[in-house]
Amino acid sequence: MADNDLVNVKIDGIAVQVPKGTPAIEAAKKAGVDIPFFCYHPKLSMEAGANCRMCLVEVATPRKGPDGTISMAKMPKPQTACSLPVSEGMEIETQTEQVIADRKAILEFLLINHPLDCPICDRGGECPLQNNTIFYGPQNSRFIEEKRHFPKAYPLSKHVVFDRERCIHCARCTRFTDDISGDHQLAFLKRGADMYIDTFNQSKMVSKFSGNVIEICPVGALLSRDYRFKARPWDILSQKSICTQCSNGCNIKLDYRVGRLQRVNARLNEAVNEEWTCDKGKFGMDYVSTDQRLVTPLIRRDGALQPATWSEAMDLVVQRLKEAGKSVGAIGGARCTNEDNYILQKFFRNVLKSNNLDHRLGTYLPPAQSGLHARLGYHTMGNAIADFERMKTIFVIGSDLVNEQPILFLRVRKAWRFKGGRIIAANPAATQISEFADPEVTYRAGAEVALLNGIIKILAERNPSAADLPGYGDFIKSLAGWSIEKAAEESGVSAERIRRIADAIFSGETAFIAGKAVTEHPDASAVIEAICNLAVLSGNAANVNIPVTQCNAQGAMDMGLLPDSAPGYTPVEEPGLNTRQMLEAAADSNLKALWLVGADPVAHYTDADLAKRALGGDTFVIASELFLTPSAELADVVLPVASVAEKDGTYTNCERRVQRIFKAFELSPDVHPDWFVFADASGRLEQPLPYFSARDILREINVTVPLYADCSPQKLGNEGIRWQYPSAKSDLQLVPVEYRPLAKVTVAE
Amino acid sequence: MPDPVKPIAKGMFLTMKHYINMLRAREKTNVTVQYPEERREQFSRTRWRHVLTRYDNGLEKCIGCSLCAGACPARCIYVQAAENSDEARYSPGERYAVRYEINILRCIFCGYCQEACPTGAIVLRKDFELADYNRKDFLYTKEMLLEPLPIQADVLPVPMEKARGMVGAGKE
Ligand code: SF4
Ligand code: SF4
Ligand code: SF4
Ligand code: SF4
Ligand code: FES
Repeated sequence: MADNDLVNVKIDGIAVQVPKGTPAIEAAKKAGVDIPFFCYHPKLSMEAGANCRMCLVEVATPRKGPDGTISMAKMPKPQTACSLPVSEGMEIETQTEQVIADRKAILEFLLINHPLDCPICDRGGECPLQNNTIFYGPQNSRFIEEKRHFPKAYPLSKHVVFDRERCIHCARCTRFTDDISGDHQLAFLKRGADMYIDTFNQSKMVSKFSGNVIEICPVGALLSRDYRFKARPWDILSQKSICTQCSNGCNIKLDYRVGRLQRVNARLNEAVNEEWTCDKGKFGMDYVSTDQRLVTPLIRRDGALQPATWSEAMDLVVQRLKEAGKSVGAIGGARCTNEDNYILQKFFRNVLKSNNLDHRLGTYLPPAQSGLHARLGYHTMGNAIADFERMKTIFVIGSDLVNEQPILFLRVRKAWRFKGGRIIAANPAATQISEFADPEVTYRAGAEVALLNGIIKILAERNPSAADLPGYGDFIKSLAGWSIEKAAEESGVSAERIRRIADAIFSGETAFIAGKAVTEHPDASAVIEAICNLAVLSGNAANVNIPVTQCNAQGAMDMGLLPDSAPGYTPVEEPGLNTRQMLEAAADSNLKALWLVGADPVAHYTDADLAKRALGGDTFVIASELFLTPSAELADVVLPVASVAEKDGTYTNCERRVQRIFKAFELSPDVHPDWFVFADASGRLEQPLPYFSARDILREINVTVPLYADCSPQKLGNEGIRWQYPSAKSDLQLVPVEYRPLAKVTVAE
Repeated sequence: MPDPVKPIAKGMFLTMKHYINMLRAREKTNVTVQYPEERREQFSRTRWRHVLTRYDNGLEKCIGCSLCAGACPARCIYVQAAENSDEARYSPGERYAVRYEINILRCIFCGYCQEACPTGAIVLRKDFELADYNRKDFLYTKEMLLEPLPIQADVLPVPMEKARGMVGAGKE
C-alpha cells in the first residue's frame, strides 16, 4: 500500500500507522490494545453493524482553530470503535473512567434478559459474553424482576437450534446470511425487547452454510443440534485437520473426547476457507466416530466375511498377490492422503510391477481425457481460490457451484459482494448462483458448445489480434457456419444474453469455472476444448478452472494413481488398465487380484452392474475400507484402515494446495493408515518399504516428485503450500471444435 | 567421681510420676478408639466419599454441566450429559448427567468439585471406608454415587410441568 494511504493514530497513547478507513477496533488490535466487542466481525459488512455498543471508546480529532493552531477536539459522546474509521491524527482512549463505566452499563443492560444458564449452555467456557462480563462487567445486577422466557432449543434448521432467551441481538447471524452465504435466511422479527431471530416467514432455515452462524454467534443462542450437551470446552481436545467431504480442503479443527469426534469447527486459512465451512463438512465428518466403523480385518470363509487377525488377513493377501503376479490392479485413492497414495503406487509399480492403478470412478477422466494440460499447461485449476476475488468477471459454466464447490462459491460471491466483480453463469438449470449472477442463462442440456461458439464468435470479431494465434485459420473456418442467432437457437439462450455474456468477458480479466454438467457431458472433451478456445481468445488462458470433486483426487493424480503416469505426471512406458478396463478384466476373470483402496465402485461407479460382476467374480478382491460398503461386502479380504482423524499426512486440495492433517486419536490397534498396509504387504513379500511415519514418506516425495519439492513437513505450516507448475504454457493455440447435439453423441470411450 | 545413685533415683521418680498420672488420666479420657467396633464422630466439614444428592421430590440435582470435572485438579471426574424429555426426566430443566464417574483412586478429596457445583449436587460426606479389592471397583459410577430415592418421592420419571413446580418447593 502506498504511504499516503496510511494515517497516524494514537490508541491509549500508542502510535500506530494503519490504512485510512480502518475501523478503530482494528487499529487498536494493531496497537495491542484490547477493546471488547460482540457484534463486530471483520468479514461482515458494517452496514447493519454496531449493534451491541460494547466497543465504546472516547475519541479526539485534531481541529484547526481560527488562529491556525491545531488543538485536539474531543467528540462529545463515546463512539463505537467497530464502526469508526480512523483518520489522520485521531486519538482514541479506551481506559477512561467514562469508557469503563459505559462497558459496565452495557453489560448490565445486555444481561437484563439474559438467562445466565451458563452451566447448561453449550457456549459456556468459550463464550464472549462470559469473558467480557468477567473482565469488564459489573459484579451484580440491579434487575430483580422476572426475566423474559421463551421455549428453549427452538429448531431453526436441520443443524441449528435457537435459544431465544440468550440472544443479544448483535445481528452477526443475519449479516452472515446476507453477506457471506447469500441465502438471506435469518432476520429480526418484532422490535425492542420482543425482537428475535427467525427466518422471515418463520419456516425452516434452509442454507448450505448454516453451521457457521453457530460459530459466529457471540453467545449460546445459535447452537448445534448434533453437539448439543455432548461436551464442554474443557472436556475436549482439538486437533488440526482438513475436511474430507469435498476437494476444497477447508481447514478444520476436530474436537474429540475419549477417542470420539464431538464436533468440527472451522480453522482460519485466508487462502482457502477463510473461517467458514459448509454444512456437509461441519456436520458430515461424524462418520469418523460411528459404530459402523470396521475395527478388525475380515476374511471370506465359507462364503461369508468373518473376523480374522491382522496377520491372517495379510498372509492371505500376500499369498494371493504372489499367485497373481502382474495380474493385479488397484482402484481408489481419492480419499487417501498423498503419503498413502505414494506408497500404494510404489508398491504396485516397484514391487508388484503393475501399472494398473486408477483413482477415477466417474465418467470424467482427468487429466488424460480433459486435454486441459495439453492446451493450457495445467491439469485442473489455473487460479488459486483466493484469486477469484480480484477477477473482473467470473464465468461459471455447467456447475451447481454451491453444491459442487461450496468454498469456491463463497469466494465467487465475495468477489461480487465486496470486490465489485461481475458473475455470469450458464447452467442447464437454475442454481443458487441466480441470486447474484448477471446474466444467469439456462441453456438446453448438452448444448454447451453451441453457447460457447456463439460467445466465441462475438469475441473473435472484437479481438483482431487473436489472428496471430497458431491454429487461428482452421479455427475461424470451423466457425464459419456459426452466427449468434444459430447459437441462440441451438442453446436456447437469447442472442441478447449471449451478447451480454460476451461483453462481460470482454470487459476485463475473466476466470472460468466449469463443473459437473461439463465434466459429465458425454462429449466432455469437446466442451473443454471450447472453453479453452474462449479463454485463449479472450486472453485468459491462465484462468480456466475445472476443479476435481473428491477430497484428494488432485493429490491422487499428482501421486501417479493413473494408469499412464507416475508421480509428478511422468509418463510410464507401458500404461496399465484404467478403472473401466480393470473392472471389465475382473468381470471376465482376466485379472487375478484387485485392491479397492477406499473406493466403492458398486455404489459410485457409473456402471454398477459391471462393478458387481467384477467384484463378485473369480478375482481376489481386497478392500481397504472404513465401513462395510456394498463393494467391501463383495470382497474376499476387508482391511480396516484409519480415517482422517486417525492418521497423519497431507491432502492436496482442488487448487493444488498441499495441507497437513494430524492424528487425533486411535480407533483400535488393528486400524492402520493405508500406507502402512502396503508397506506391511511389501515387507511380507520380502521387499520391505521401510517407512516409520507419514513424515518420512513426505520427505521422500519432496525428493522424488519435483512438483512437491517445496512441500516438506517443516514448510507446510498452517496455510499449506500451493505447488506450481515449473513454467506457464507459452505455445497457446486455437483448436476447431465440432458441435454435436446431444442426441448424436455416443458415450465417449 | 559423683554419686551415681542420686540422679538414677531422680530419673526413676520422674518416670513413675508420669506413669501414675497416665494411669489416672486414662480412667477419665479414652484416646484409643476401638475401631471398627467404635467410631469417632467426624467433623461437620469432613470431606470423604462423594454423594450425588437429590431434591426432596427425588429429582437429581446434577445437571451434567461438567463444572466439577473442570474444577477437579486430579481430572478424575467424567460427566456425560443428555437431554431430559417429558417421558424420562431425571433432573429439573433441560440437561442431566447420563454418565457420572469418579475415579476415587485419583481423587485427592480437595472438595473443589463440591465448590464448583452450581446446584449443590456433588458433595463430599463422611464415609471414609473406601478400601476395596479390585482397581475397577474404585471407578464410582453414577448409580453408586447417587443418594437413594427418598421414601416419599414421586415416581420417576415425572412430566415436565410437574418437575418444574417441584423444584424449590421441596426445599421448604
Ligand atoms: S442469535 Fe447470536 S448471532 Fe444472532 S443476533 Fe442473536 S446473539 Fe447475535
Ligand atoms: S466446502 Fe468442502 S472442504 Fe469445505 S467444509 Fe464443505 S465439504 Fe468440507
Ligand atoms: S475432591 Fe477434588 S480431586 Fe476429588 S473429585 Fe472432587 S475435585 Fe476432584
Ligand atoms: S455434579 Fe454439579 S458440577 Fe458436576 S456435573 Fe453435576 S451439576 Fe455440574
Ligand atoms: S462491536 Fe462495536 S457496536 Fe458491537
